[in-house]
Order: sequence, then structure tokens, then C-alpha cells
Amino acid sequence: MSEQNLNGDVSRRSVLKGAAAGAGVVAAGGFLSAGAGAGAASAAGKSVSVGSNQSDPAARKSDTAWVAAATKAGFDVKLNTVDHNTFQNQINSYLQGTPDDVFTWFAGYRMQFFASKGLATDISDVWSKIGKDFTKGYKTASTGLDGKQYFVPTTWYPWAVMYRKSVFKAAGVDPASIITWADFIAACKVFKSKGLTPVALGDKGGWEAMGTFDLINMRTNGYKFHVDLMGGRASWGDARVQKTFKNWESMFPYQNSNTLDLEWSDAAQLVLQKKAAMQVMGAFHASIYTDAADLADLALFPFPEINKANRRDSVDAPIDGYMLSKGASKNAANAKALATFIASTDYANAVLSVAPTALFANSNMPASDNAFVRQQVDLVKSSKYIAQFLDRDTRPDFAGPIVGPAIQSFLKTPGDKAKIAANLTKQWAALPPA
Amino acid sequence: MSTTRTDLTTATGAKAPRRRRRRSNFTKKDRAVLFGLVGLPTVLHVLFVWIPAILTVLLSFTFWDGIGGVKNIHWAGFQNYSQIFSLYEAFPKALRNNALWLGFFAFVPTPLGILLAYFIDKNLKGSKFYQTAFYLPMVLSLAVTGIVWDYVFRTNGLVNSILGDTNSESAISWFGDPHKNIWVVLGIASWRHIGYVMLLYLAGMKAVDPSLHEAAGIDGASDWYTFRKVVFPSLRPVNVIIIVVTVIDSLRAFDLVFIINRGRNGLELLGVLVYENIFGESSRIGWGAALATMLFLMSIIPIMVYLYQTFKADE
Repeated sequence: MSEQNLNGDVSRRSVLKGAAAGAGVVAAGGFLSAGAGAGAASAAGKSVSVGSNQSDPAARKSDTAWVAAATKAGFDVKLNTVDHNTFQNQINSYLQGTPDDVFTWFAGYRMQFFASKGLATDISDVWSKIGKDFTKGYKTASTGLDGKQYFVPTTWYPWAVMYRKSVFKAAGVDPASIITWADFIAACKVFKSKGLTPVALGDKGGWEAMGTFDLINMRTNGYKFHVDLMGGRASWGDARVQKTFKNWESMFPYQNSNTLDLEWSDAAQLVLQKKAAMQVMGAFHASIYTDAADLADLALFPFPEINKANRRDSVDAPIDGYMLSKGASKNAANAKALATFIASTDYANAVLSVAPTALFANSNMPASDNAFVRQQVDLVKSSKYIAQFLDRDTRPDFAGPIVGPAIQSFLKTPGDKAKIAANLTKQWAALPPA
Repeated sequence: MSTTRTDLTTATGAKAPRRRRRRSNFTKKDRAVLFGLVGLPTVLHVLFVWIPAILTVLLSFTFWDGIGGVKNIHWAGFQNYSQIFSLYEAFPKALRNNALWLGFFAFVPTPLGILLAYFIDKNLKGSKFYQTAFYLPMVLSLAVTGIVWDYVFRTNGLVNSILGDTNSESAISWFGDPHKNIWVVLGIASWRHIGYVMLLYLAGMKAVDPSLHEAAGIDGASDWYTFRKVVFPSLRPVNVIIIVVTVIDSLRAFDLVFIINRGRNGLELLGVLVYENIFGESSRIGWGAALATMLFLMSIIPIMVYLYQTFKADE
């Protein structure tokens, strides 16, 4: 998920990412143009510098809105916005150089990775104040491997089955009746008989289908196995991974055949154009719906139950938020005060004023009157376990370059699933010690 | 050398010491110019090319996630290399694609470019127009080229529209089919490379002494025969450049496939693998450096061998 943001802005997945960088010299380090920390504190405000990857116009607006609110609350925020992809690519050198006090980041392994490398500041004391405003799941997602908190969650979105109500109605399928895998396959058969692609899937980028893998894996083997697999405590060669692949394979007849040719947004288009019935996607699926009437027709239901033991108890719901860099310890009081502010409803309301479909982690935010947003909230409320996403839950040097192509191979030649899993096991073992 | 020789033949023995003194007797201005023109570029070259290159080779024998200083770099011996060969599924694919790219470039666009240059040099009607038209792709960066051709070959793009099937399920998947996409990409890259070779060759041919042409014509040689036996051999410097350019362009290929699908699913290339492993959060610096080192050797060895042989023959 490194490549979209919460509000589902597509443009961020710029195709030009790294286009300028060819093969070649490696040792020359990269530099991020972000200004250095909080020098020159103004007399009045609590000066804090913030590094943001929210470079899209819509996301920038959110940043501007909350910074204005923070200024009103007595902060002097120096916002350094860097192109999203540059930010992601340079994060290593950024955090090791002179990072801003506070920076945008993701919950889960990607947060724990930098925390364990000593590149983040412990904010457990902030959590003792803000903890009451968040459910336990958010605290867990903000906790490093050492049991301390390093992350302030702000916004999130769930992964589920996206569909258009009118398409289901026309085919005579009641989405509420799709509970189990058998229900799901039966619905797929109905859509197929009507000449529709039952499930649209695009995995050109190599990350999109990770969402489907995660959900089938958690439904088949449970949340615990997902966490163990991602953390390396379970092996990819495990028979349970084969079960996941096998279950997915049973869905193949109802998936479009050209999965590797489509981006997620191409697949989402098929749903929008009523050529496909469903897409297993993050809620940013909605971002391609430009017409209000189409958007009102959009709905979601939780991924169906596969194994009775796990019901529909887990969901991928990546959480975005902020971390304090290690340099923030020099400006600890102000940086932590800002972290507290970011956790507050003042922050959330400021963002909500410009991003009405955003979903906030703070439990004191009032319920949205948007039906699609409400469905997302209900989905997560009814889930016992919240996973991040495959590439947010496991080692970054494993997810993108290794699992991504492996899932693409599986989509191409599902018959090779045993070989693919065996190779994943070997590649995991070959990773340098983290 | 020539001045020395003149000195020896014309000067008396008494003048010999003066000659020696004159050699080391650069004026301040000379030194400044020398330093500016030779010293500075050398320093910059060593600093920004050779030192990073050597460090890259050193890093290829280590494990490092790019975080922390030298104390976090762990010695790996040849492990990165051995694992790339034994485990890394993308590596043989990338190697094959790079070799294919090189072979294709050497046998298709390069000869075609030469052929175009041959025809355009004959000053056919409208040759200026063709010259511009064929060179035009070169003006665009590969990144732009990639985006433009993506619209042509995507499932609902121009080609499939002409073929009459843009249905995403049944239409030909030019970029998604790993057996087709590399050929499509090679075609696109050739589209650009042909113009480049053509222009280099054309420039070379303009410089060929016209009397050679005339002499061959008087001897009764046909145009094509003259080109093969007279013009082509006299263009050796241009040929060297073209071979070097072809090898380098084939091995550093990156932008086009990265735009199309990030270099996956049949479009693996060494350059992309280096990028994937070095940049981003997923820094496997040692692994990526090992790939970069291999890529470096692959580009430098054939070129050095070729240049050595060419210039040895010249002497």
C-alpha cells in the first residue's frame, strides 16, 4: 500500500516514480530537501517541524487545514511537504539525516521497523493521555516490538468487497445474503451467467492482489496465522499457505483472466461501468467515482467466511498517522504536544472540513451521514482483528520485491503454487538479519 | 613529439639543458589552465564516479539495510552473489531479457538505422523530412516514450481499437502477456534507437571524402557496393560509437519497462532489479550493489575489449 493514500487519491501512484533513476551508482546517498528541525522558535508558538508526504492537491488541503487549526491552538508548525514517492523512497536517509520532528507514516510493521532501528521517539507518555480516545486496536497498531508506543493514528480505510447496488439488484442477488464462501461462489455463478465478470482484479503493480491474499488467508487460517506468517514465525512453505492459495484458485474461474494487465483502477472501472460485479479493494475504490449518483450506488460487504472458526472476524484496515523522529527528542515537549493535538478531534474536524469522506481513528468523532462511510465503520467495528496490509505487516525488503512478483506468478500459473511457496520460504531464509 | 624531433635535429648540444628547463617551466597561467581543464574534471570524476563505483563493489560483499553507519554493515562474503544466482527468480529472467535486448538492438534497429542513413544520404526527395521524422523519437525521453506507447498498446488502446476488440477479457494483452510484452517493448525501444543510429551515421557519412565516392563510381562500383566496401570501412570511428551506444543502451534499459509495469511479469531487467533493491524502504543495499556490480562488469568488459582491439589495429 505504499502507493496510495487514505483518501484514495490515484494520482499519487505516479507512473513516473523513479523514472529518472536508472541503474548505476549506488553508494551516493540521496538527500531530501526537507528543511531541518525546529530552529528559530517564534516567541509565541510552540515550534514544531512536520515532514509530510501528502503532496497531492487534495491531501495538501487537509494538511493546510489542520496546520491552520494547530496554529490557532498555539503551535508554530513548519510544514515540509515532499513529493509522496520521493518521501517513501528517501525515508531511510531522511530519518537518518536531519528529519523533521514529526512525520507522516503508517502503522504496523513499517512503523515498528523504524522504531526498532532507533529512528523514532517513544511517545508512550502521550498515549497515557490520548489512550482513552482510541480503541484498543489502534493502540496495538501504534505499539512497537518493545511494547512502547511510537505512532499517532489519524485516518484509515478498510478492504472489503466493493459493488454497485444496482448491479446486484438487476441480477437478483442480495448482498446481505452473502455470508459464506459457498454463498459468494453462488453469487459469482449468477453474475457469470449474466455475462458479467464476477470479480474484477488488477495486479499490474504487484501489490493490489495482496489485499485478496490477506483476506483469504485470514478467513482460511485466522488472524494469528497472518501475523505469524508476516512476522516470519510461520513459514511460507506451511501447508496453510497452500490452503489459502487453493481457496483463491477456486475463485479464479470468476476472476478476469488478464489480472496482470490491469491496474487496480482499471479493475475498479469495470465495476463502475457495470462490466464486473465486484472488486476486493480498499475503500479508495470510491475515488474513481466522479459522479454523485454513481457514488451513491456504491456499497461494500465484508469478505465472505471461509472457515467457520474464523467467521468474518478480521479485516485489512491500514492506518495512517504520524511518528516522532529521533531528532524530536531535542524538541520533545513541543513535538509531543503536537502529537497530542494530532490525536485530538480538533485535528480530525479540521481535516474533515476539507475531506468529508475521511475516516478517523479517534473514537470521539461523530458518525458520518455518508452511507458508504458508515458501512466502513460498521465493518471495522464488527471485526475482532484488524490487520494492516501485507506490505505494512512484513519486512519491506520482502513484501514489495519478493511477495509481489510471487503473487503475480501465482495469478499466471496457479499450478505452480507449491513451487512458488517453496521459493518464498527460501527467499525469506536468505534475507539478511533485520 | 614533433617539436622534440625538430629540436634534436636543428639544435646544438649546448641547447639541450634549456629544453629540459622549458618543459617544467609552465607559467602560473598555464598551471591554472591545466588545473582547470584537466585537474578539476579529474578530481570531480574520481570523486563522483570512481569512488562511489568502488564503494558499490565493496558494498556488494556486505549486508546492509541502509540504516546506520559503517558498524551496521556486515560482511557477507560472496553470499549476495551466490544467492542471486541460486534463489533470485527475477535474476535469470532479467539476464535473459538484457541479452535479448542487446541481441535485438545489434541485429534489428542498428542495421535499420544504417540502412536509413544510406538512403537519406542519397538526397532523395524529402530526405530532410524523413531525417527529422526518424530522429524525432530521440527528442522524447524514454519516460515520455513509455507513456505515449502505453496508450497505443494498452488493452483499450489504439492498436486494439484498430483490431476491433478492446474488451478487457478477450482483447490481446500486449503488455500483460509475458510472451508478448518484451517484444512490444523492444519494438518501442527500437523505434527510438533507429533514429539515433541513423543520425550518427548520417553525420559520419557527410564527412566521408566525396572523391572516394567518385573514384569508386569511375571504377564501376554500384552504389550499394561502394557503401559496403568504401564508405562503411572508412566510418570506423562512427561504428565504434554505435557499438558502444548499443551495448550501453541495452544494458542500462530501465525507464520504458518501469513505466509500463515496473519491470515485472516478463519485463524484468537488471537495471530495474538494482532499483527495486536499493531504493525505497526495502533497502537491500548489498544485494542491489551486487546486481549493479554485475551490470557494470557486463557493460564495461565487452566495450573495453572492443575498444582495445580497435585502437590496437589503428596503431
